[in-house]
Amino acid sequence: MTIRHHASDESLLRYAAGQLPAGPARVLAVHLATCPCCRERLAAFEAVGGALLEATAPAPMAPDAFAAALRAIDREEAARAPATPAPTHLEARARPRAPVTLPGGIPLPAPLQDCEIGPWRWIGLGVRASTVRLPEDPEARLTLLRVGPGRKLPEHGHVGTEFTQVISGSFSDGFGRYGPGDLSEMDQEIEHQPIVDREGDCYCLAALEGSMRLNGFFGRLVQPFVRL
Amino acid sequence: MTRLMKDDGVPDGDELARLIGQVATERDRQAYARLYSYFAPRLNAFLRRSGLPPNTAEEIAQEVMLSVWRKASYFDPARAGAATWIFTIARNLRIDHLRRLRTASAGEEEPVEVETAPSGETLLLTAEREARVREALKTLSDEQATVLRLSFFSEKAHSEIARELGLPLGTVKSRVRLALGRLRVLLEGHT
Repeated sequence: MTIRHHASDESLLRYAAGQLPAGPARVLAVHLATCPCCRERLAAFEAVGGALLEATAPAPMAPDAFAAALRAIDREEAARAPATPAPTHLEARARPRAPVTLPGGIPLPAPLQDCEIGPWRWIGLGVRASTVRLPEDPEARLTLLRVGPGRKLPEHGHVGTEFTQVISGSFSDGFGRYGPGDLSEMDQEIEHQPIVDREGDCYCLAALEGSMRLNGFFGRLVQPFVRL
Repeated sequence: MTRLMKDDGVPDGDELARLIGQVATERDRQAYARLYSYFAPRLNAFLRRSGLPPNTAEEIAQEVMLSVWRKASYFDPARAGAATWIFTIARNLRIDHLRRLRTASAGEEEPVEVETAPSGETLLLTAEREARVREALKTLSDEQATVLRLSFFSEKAHSEIARELGLPLGTVKSRVRLALGRLRVLLEGHT
């Protein structure tokens, strides 16, 4: 997978800081899972966080805070003592559920495996959509889109940034061609008109920070799904 | 508490990593005490600064330090420095806390992380990366440092930060770009 379109500095910085809303953060997580280059940049931005933490002038904890921490540790150790040893790293990560796939047998990206994928609904013009619910934030706005080959989405704009990660297939807009693993971040005030390439369906994961311009086509398209 | 103050020298990154290692392998409470006295008050201040009320900031700082005890064996110096690792724990617990407030639903979901095989080389690079990030931060102008800090301590998008500072969005974006550009030169320039 050759990735040509990467996360922006702003988004990676906000992701590193834990300041990106849940929906866009998941889209980024899907991108990061397949993009070593963005993982490397993320590590640098997290190191900024570490440096800022160390540079922060300390604010004293309550005088008995450390003693309380030791008591909490004692309680945990006592509760754990007779039990089996803690699971290893790998066991802790194992997920018992069978992996979820998208229609056509396309595997759902690993960072979405704990999400609830809603039913696919036909919403016109060769476009189907499914709402993705995040366990940690049911209000997050996250949508899987399946767009037929050669389909054109009328130009749309938005208030805030639209994050679109290609899972399979490809589309093109005035800014280039986006294939599997590519991330498109469309800033506010940018109008674009994605066209899905002829080879086949395009599956992508989309999240919006802010709100879609309501008069835009895409806004009306996903409105029922993102509860604008 | 007083015995914690015996050693008031500020530990460096290697020392902090070694202390976490001792907590992991020996469950060493002396090492933990040193980590606690160094990090807990900084976490407390850091979390307040990111907008949490003082009581909550202290509770979460305490939670972070308990996680450091529990998860010390997960610390991998090939992936991040000690302060960076602890920062990411604080970041995740803060996110969990804010989401619990919003959704009133519990859940200890770990963020999805990708395994990378540590090697001698990545270990060296990680240490260098941490050192270079610090160097780079020192060279930022006040204006660049301000927008970088705002990105860390507020959930606002850059467009909102711009509005708040009374600056055009382009100015905020270019300051962030310059700040990050300087980081990048230092991170990539020597490899």
